[in-house]
Amino acid sequence: MEKQLSLPRLRPEMTSGVLCAWLKAEGETVRAGEPVYEIETDKVVNQIEATEGGVLKKLLREEGDEVAAGEAVAILETE
Amino acid sequence: MIHIACPSADPYYNLAFEEFVFQTFQEEDVFLLWRNRPCMVVGSYQNICRETRPARLRRKGIPVLRRISGGGAVYHDLGNVNYSCITAQDGPVDYDKSLAPVLDALNAIGVPAEKNRACDIAIGGKKISGSAQRAAGGRLLHHGTLLFDADLSALEEISVQGKNECVQTKGTMSAICPVTNIRRHLPGDMDVETFMERLLAQMVPEGRRRILTAEQDAAVCRLRDEKYRSWAWTWGRTPPFTYEKSGTFAGKEFFARYQAKQGIVSAVRVDCQAIDGLLAEGLLEGAKLDPDGFAAVCAQLAGDRSEELLDLLI
Repeated sequence: MEKQLSLPRLRPEMTSGVLCAWLKAEGETVRAGEPVYEIETDKVVNQIEATEGGVLKKLLREEGDEVAAGEAVAILETE
Repeated sequence: MIHIACPSADPYYNLAFEEFVFQTFQEEDVFLLWRNRPCMVVGSYQNICRETRPARLRRKGIPVLRRISGGGAVYHDLGNVNYSCITAQDGPVDYDKSLAPVLDALNAIGVPAEKNRACDIAIGGKKISGSAQRAAGGRLLHHGTLLFDADLSALEEISVQGKNECVQTKGTMSAICPVTNIRRHLPGDMDVETFMERLLAQMVPEGRRRILTAEQDAAVCRLRDEKYRSWAWTWGRTPPFTYEKSGTFAGKEFFARYQAKQGIVSAVRVDCQAIDGLLAEGLLEGAKLDPDGFAAVCAQLAGDRSEELLDLLI
């Protein structure tokens, strides 16, 4: 099943974050709890972990992109 | 909260020390206090070529390092005290919660400090402390600088006048703020060692101070060598950018443009009657973004005037 990975809201006032690094590549398998990407907002770099396992089918945003909270950054194909 | 002593002034070692403790001490809250010899430390996702002047820093012998937290570029010297608080990450991002104990400790030892902006500490509106964070694996690293007796003229020259406007890039921008040293605002004078000892006494009780084991120290040294001294981490992580500079070299009109992605230079154009542009392009195409490498190219192209050329190229 395809699921969207979307940018979490890390504090109530957060409107967007910068996707600073993909830690997994397109096509790679991720396990639940594994870090997938890093975002920076308000001088905090946050490592974002997968909440469930699957294959990273498509990365929708590039490193350096500013992404709105809640917006999809990748598509995960779950088992 | 425990304290682990970090007796080194080597910035490469100290950043590795902090990351090692962040990754390894999962069960306890840890407080660190440490100082660096003069260096420039940029945020995890900053463009070194925009936020600093690499050629100038190279001439001054000031190294540039990349840290693992967000935020902007900071000049460090032995008059600047760094603190790190490593805790469990519970709840949303909240700088107030992280800053409160440090503010209380500063106030308790007579520093008339107050919170300023989102994550700064100030005295009379002038910044004495900036901070940044990293959250990973349920743990939070909050760290900050404390300008105690830093060389503010060096700081001004290096960070305030150190922007490179010829770089178009993504990545985190540094903020410029008026600053002051804590030492000037104390009711009674003390040296930096006393300040650190008194701050530590406020933060961590006597009986909870540790040092790393020899094995742990060896792991810190490995991380220092493999990550913090590596080109790949410091320069290779620079966000993609386009460099473009017009000026004068050796009395002739000068123009240079290139791109860099993952720290590798491409699409180079160098146009100046005083140097062999084709040779310059050939030498820089595919080169690593690295001031020492660029300096060697400049020496080959411009001999005695290599520093002048280096200033135009990076």
